[in-house]
Amino acid sequence: MTPRFPGFCATSAHDISRRAFLSHSLAVGSGALLGTAGAVHALDEDSVNAALRATGKSVILLWLAGGPSQLETWDPKPGRPTGGPFASIPTSVPGVHLGELMPEMARRMHKLTLIRSVNSRDAGHGTAAEMMLRGRKNEAALMYPDIGCLIAKELGRADSKVPGYVSFYSQTEGRGNTNATPSFLGAQYAPMILNDGMMPPNLSRLANITSADHRDRAQLRDLLSARFADNRGLEAVRSHASAYARVHGLMSSEPLFDIAQEPESIRQRYGPSLFGQQVLMARRMAEAGVPFIRVARAWWDSHGQNFETHQEMVPELDHVMATLMDDLEQRGMLESTLVLAMGEFGRTPAINPSLGRDHFAAAWSVAMFGAGLQGGAVFGRTDPDGQTVAEGEVGPGEIFATVLAAVGIDPEKEYLVGSRPVPLVNPGIKPIRSLLA
Amino acid sequence: MKITELTRSGRKDIVFCVARTADGALCAGTSEGKVLGVDPGGARADAVFSGAPHTSYVTGLARARHRLISGSYDRHLIWWDGSRSTQLFRKPAHEKWIRKVCASPDGTTVASVADDMVARIWDAETGALRAELKGHAPETPHHYASMLFTCAFDPSGDLLATADKVGRIIVWNVAKGEVVQTMDSPGMYTWDPTQRRHSIGGIRSLAFSPDGKTLVAGGIGTIGNIDHLAGNARIEVFEWRSGQSVAVVETGQVKGLVNQLAFAAGGGWLLGAGGDNKGLHLLVNCATWKLEFEETCAFHVHDFLLDPGGSQYTAVGHQGICLNGIS
Repeated sequence: MTPRFPGFCATSAHDISRRAFLSHSLAVGSGALLGTAGAVHALDEDSVNAALRATGKSVILLWLAGGPSQLETWDPKPGRPTGGPFASIPTSVPGVHLGELMPEMARRMHKLTLIRSVNSRDAGHGTAAEMMLRGRKNEAALMYPDIGCLIAKELGRADSKVPGYVSFYSQTEGRGNTNATPSFLGAQYAPMILNDGMMPPNLSRLANITSADHRDRAQLRDLLSARFADNRGLEAVRSHASAYARVHGLMSSEPLFDIAQEPESIRQRYGPSLFGQQVLMARRMAEAGVPFIRVARAWWDSHGQNFETHQEMVPELDHVMATLMDDLEQRGMLESTLVLAMGEFGRTPAINPSLGRDHFAAAWSVAMFGAGLQGGAVFGRTDPDGQTVAEGEVGPGEIFATVLAAVGIDPEKEYLVGSRPVPLVNPGIKPIRSLLA
Repeated sequence: MKITELTRSGRKDIVFCVARTADGALCAGTSEGKVLGVDPGGARADAVFSGAPHTSYVTGLARARHRLISGSYDRHLIWWDGSRSTQLFRKPAHEKWIRKVCASPDGTTVASVADDMVARIWDAETGALRAELKGHAPETPHHYASMLFTCAFDPSGDLLATADKVGRIIVWNVAKGEVVQTMDSPGMYTWDPTQRRHSIGGIRSLAFSPDGKTLVAGGIGTIGNIDHLAGNARIEVFEWRSGQSVAVVETGQVKGLVNQLAFAAGGGWLLGAGGDNKGLHLLVNCATWKLEFEETCAFHVHDFLLDPGGSQYTAVGHQGICLNGIS
């Protein structure tokens, strides 16, 4: 039986055998070659981004699948008919209040950046998730890449032994809405998917092959491949060699995926939940140079029992986010790591008969910190009942552009897809400059 | 047996709890923090009790002789003069949300339960704290904060049953503050380890039979879609002295939580109500523990009062109050 191995795969299964991984990468290389004959392909070469890569920046996305309530977290409205039963609490920034379930982030508000005026205009799980992760809606003939794939391309290093994009999504619900497609960037920027655990299965060298034998085999294969490529110069051969190199890199970085390498005291700080441990893994990945890591926490889709749901899940989010912020700061990584917490939308101010809140895209919140973002800044405002954006309306594009700008990527940069220039964000979309350092 | 709606009045707020004063007037606690006199027919306007209201949802209301005691998510209990509709005094009572308040049958003692996982026993007249009953785990097995949803006195008033989010039921000797019996109803804990790593069920209601031998617990069963309370309403029946579960009753058609339970005076049948996005009510034959009636109703029911004769009950809930007939 072929050993199973989660690779940089864009299939729905998301984990493939090592042999399949290599075959797939070869096919991608062939596809790129075909692209030069007229199919969609990316012409923007890696060398363009060398300066950016030197910055060593990373993004950790806390993907709150299902859509948490802004009213129970970042934009409380206590005492209003829509406010629900929770109180608000003061924060370390005078005049700014958070929901009472977030005491740890409230104490760190001066390092946090809030956008309270998101109007994303789409309250369907699938389409909204796609839009938030791509910054815009797809066109009929063009699918835009996921933000993680784009950042993996822009900030990843060709010689890196670690993946460019790692995604943890352990709960099944909502996962299908967020298949991270690299689209025209190429399959090498698709995420490594770790849904069922934190260690890729079958990463270890087989016990009956010595490390010397393993190394010698690799060197022999490299030598033969290089000769073959020198004589022919085929993109497909380069892709094949690159895929082998990445597999070897992953195998050599096995300790990166071993959370037991973290001191017990650090593991305890993140807490016992799977989400906490996965966010700790995300910090390990960022520290090792992975440009983009997504940790998904479902399920915020609280049509029923919204308040009990948030009582259960917000304290976990609050604690894990605060711990991550402290940990990054203590390691000197806060300036180089952007942490973004959002779902596909927020939740209705109206409370339904199940004491739930429903999908709501018209006025909700996104939180982020690190990477030089203005700590303590609160951008935008909703009306007293949280029904509409009262000031500073932004959409997914502005959030997308702000994240890119914060990690040093020009949002106005263009790729060529075929002969068509495709900007990273839609024309006219700008980052929120007041939030950038 | 069946239930028929007799009168209904719509409201803008959510009514979480209901009680009658010693004079027989119907009173309710609301999402606006108020305790007020209400008319299920809607003919009379609300009569808001005087005095500073609660600052969050009022989720428990119990009559103890001539007094009413309300409890709220604001963590306070307030004592009211039921006949004069005025506030007497208020006390900080719990560290977290108060979920339920109930009074002993003789009206001398009041119990409150809250998400700090403590049941507190109060002197119904003076408000003095008599006992703290600690035994429910503060965390679920999956390391999330648990919730202590409900409590009920037995007919003697000597015993108090309390129940939580993970399906643990404890019967206490109130005077001694000791655990008499512990039971589990694991089907009420709706933890989903695969799709959502989340739970929203728990035991939401308790009631002792009139002879005190049987204890019933209400909640929700296995949930297909936890986001929508899409699970059958569930009642588990215990012979609590032995700790044995003797029956599980689940609805076949209607979905949602069972938020309140009450036995008919003779103990022959059991009324339950609650809901999901709709309301539900049901009747159970206590001789067979079979469901006699289940139906959706006008709104999600948070609490009800069964009349002593068993022919009517007043339900309160999401934006409504109604009077129902049982025949």
